[in-house]
Amino acid sequence: MPINDGLANLSHYSFVATVVAYALAVLAFACDFAFGRDTLGPLRSARKPAADLVAVGAAPSSPGSGTSEPGSTPSVPAAGPGTGQDARGMGRWVRVAIWLTALGLVAHIIGVVSRGLAVHRVPWGDMYEFVTTVTCVAVIFFFALMLRYRAYRLGLFVIGPVVILLGLAETVIYTPAGQLPPALQSYWLAIHVTSITLATGAFVVAALLAVVYLLADRHASRAAAGLPTRADAIFRILPPPKVIDQLAYRTVVFGFPLWTFGIIAGAIWADMAWGRYWGWDPTETWAFITWVVYAGYLHARATAGWRGRKSAYIQLVGFGCLIFNTVVVSIIITGLHSYAGLS
Amino acid sequence: MRTALVLLFLLAVASVPGSVLPQQGIDPQAVQQYYAAHPALAPLLDRLSLFNVFASPWFAAIYLLLFASLAGCVIPRAFRLAGSARQQPPRAPANLSRLPLAARHETQLTPDEALAAAAAVLTGRRFRLRTGDGWVAAEKGYLREAGNLLFHLALLVLLGAVCVGGMFGYKANRLLVVGDSFANTATALDAFHPGRAVSAADLQPFTIALDKFEASYITSGALRGQPSRFDALIRYAPQPGAAMRGYSLRVNHPLTVDGARVFLIGHGYAPVFRVTDGTGRVVFNGPVPFIAAEQAGLTSEGVIKVPDARPRQLGFAGVFLPTAVDAGGKLGSAFPAPLNPAVSLVSYAGNLGMNSGPAQSVYQLDTSGLRQLPVAPRPLAPGQSIKLPDGYGTLTFTGYRQWISLAITYDPGTLPALIAGMTALAGLLLSFFIRRRRMFVRAYPGPGGRTVVDVGGLARSDAAGAFETEFTTLAGEISSAHRGSEPAVPARSPGRGSGAGGPPALADQTEGE
Repeated sequence: MPINDGLANLSHYSFVATVVAYALAVLAFACDFAFGRDTLGPLRSARKPAADLVAVGAAPSSPGSGTSEPGSTPSVPAAGPGTGQDARGMGRWVRVAIWLTALGLVAHIIGVVSRGLAVHRVPWGDMYEFVTTVTCVAVIFFFALMLRYRAYRLGLFVIGPVVILLGLAETVIYTPAGQLPPALQSYWLAIHVTSITLATGAFVVAALLAVVYLLADRHASRAAAGLPTRADAIFRILPPPKVIDQLAYRTVVFGFPLWTFGIIAGAIWADMAWGRYWGWDPTETWAFITWVVYAGYLHARATAGWRGRKSAYIQLVGFGCLIFNTVVVSIIITGLHSYAGLS
Repeated sequence: MRTALVLLFLLAVASVPGSVLPQQGIDPQAVQQYYAAHPALAPLLDRLSLFNVFASPWFAAIYLLLFASLAGCVIPRAFRLAGSARQQPPRAPANLSRLPLAARHETQLTPDEALAAAAAVLTGRRFRLRTGDGWVAAEKGYLREAGNLLFHLALLVLLGAVCVGGMFGYKANRLLVVGDSFANTATALDAFHPGRAVSAADLQPFTIALDKFEASYITSGALRGQPSRFDALIRYAPQPGAAMRGYSLRVNHPLTVDGARVFLIGHGYAPVFRVTDGTGRVVFNGPVPFIAAEQAGLTSEGVIKVPDARPRQLGFAGVFLPTAVDAGGKLGSAFPAPLNPAVSLVSYAGNLGMNSGPAQSVYQLDTSGLRQLPVAPRPLAPGQSIKLPDGYGTLTFTGYRQWISLAITYDPGTLPALIAGMTALAGLLLSFFIRRRRMFVRAYPGPGGRTVVDVGGLARSDAAGAFETEFTTLAGEISSAHRGSEPAVPARSPGRGSGAGGPPALADQTEGE
């Protein structure tokens, strides 16, 4: 089937619009840190949305229990939805940023979908398509996380890197829409690469949260020890470190089964296409390494009860393996998986 | 489980050099290139088996350790699981408010009624119950241990399935020119790697004939020259003498015969030559498979050996160009499809050296006994000939055919490995995400004829904070069950007393806050 050039162009322009909208959203998130109301407010009220976070899923609490005296424990459930607390906590700049992110996300989805329609297949056949889709998944995933757990202010740390990735995709590794080589013409592309893409999107968000957690935790422990701290205004309005850590954990919990399924689906595909389900191809090897490191992370949290810094480091090591696999292995080391479309 | 994961991690680290350095089993040519580029380092790396990581003794040591650890783990775990199947929750502690999670409310029910209602809530949530005087203890999450056992057992089965594949499976390769056929016997295969328990007699006795091979390429745009479709039209017979059946063999669409599978893994051109020697006899007439040297234009290289030629044996080293173009005096191929096929040859005469010395590759010419003939270098189009000097004869490039390379594999361990892999995953997820957790309820008479109900909760580790949430929900349900079944009373304001922030309450002493 011929490539539909009109749709391919639509896809390209949609991605450009996406980058612009996300960039403006990042600006708005940054303005919130700079000029937002909570920056100047007392620490306790800034932490209120974070307290909600702990109590997500709790039975409806009574209004009024949230307006506790200073010094009360933050684990008291704050006001539930509809009390106006979260709307106030969101702030004008954050609302602008979220709308811009939503706008960018719509353009992003249009870009991915129209690319797929243009080439009559799932649009993740080469590195450019993979990056545009992974960032889309990351934003969708983060958007859901943000709305569900009211972690609005983490947006800067997620949308910011997404803008950079997407910008690089459009400029450095842009690949025109085209047909896939016969090796990729299989319905397993849709199964294997989709699950790997979804998992990668989740792992990207988890890794960014881990970095934010490490910074926030360092800030908190320095503040507790009476040491001089920097960027107080930013950390004061972020959720407490423990909450960011839990968000990161839940994100990995979402991504890990998908990653595992992606590896198993890849093994089935390899068996169908190459006659062996596992051959220690460089990409396979690094997918396995990545899997083991994330499994170690989950294991450390499930049995050793490791939280905090140590587990965040393990998670970042796992993400490092993932990035090594997508960037170094698929572009520099040649193997059976060399489909990046870059030369 | 920790030992298993540490060993898995070790296995992962040990596989890193195998992904960075060229591997003998995957790409022997790259290993040779590495030797040429690093003559000092390569022998050292080779002594450490770094060019054959996945078959090296130290790699085997790691997975044998893993095997031993798993085997040693499974039996005690099975006993523990059997024990826990009948195990009762522990007695409720005396002071529930000391537990990590605690809540308190009051009710007008009697303590026994309150406990019965709480037990009903917990049973409804599938907790295992134990009741005593004035308390209810409940526990949940026994599947964690089962998941753990499942993970270890499944990994054992997975390793077993890999071994079965290595013992009873085989891998083979065969190059097949359009118009030819072959039978799946050890002598007819170009390469045959049997498992330890496989002999040549175990090969499935099928026959395959290649009728036609079609390759399509993208003709315009940025991806020009990239293949878009390969289709090999074959006929095959499962047994000798059986009727031939047609099949369209494609990438991602293998042929399954008798449990063995045949894959299309490569293709190329086989120019056809006719050689007449100095005596006027036709001493060679047939296709010669050439191997692609590059993918963009499929420029292919090969040699023709004519040992029967007289007065001298003849040899030719050549290049086949599917779409020959002259780029500034240099001959090249501009497109992989045969739009303008041409052959360029260097001719030799002398002794091919095929009767003595080590076995020769069909793709290489040993020129030590040969003399290059002074023939003007001129690319041949189909039908054109070279007349060799000194009356050595004539070579005619009569046309070309295409060839495909087939991989034939048989691995009886595949399905067990898949099932084991899925089971290991299920077990791992169960053990990661289910945690043993306990709920305790105590009810006793309080001031004013009311009953005080204490609820406490305990989980060994709560990575996601999920038990906090579950506890809050459960405490809330117990409290509302008590409220729902008591006689109508005026609504009470929450948040009475200290310590408990009204129903539902989160504990004050959540860890790590």
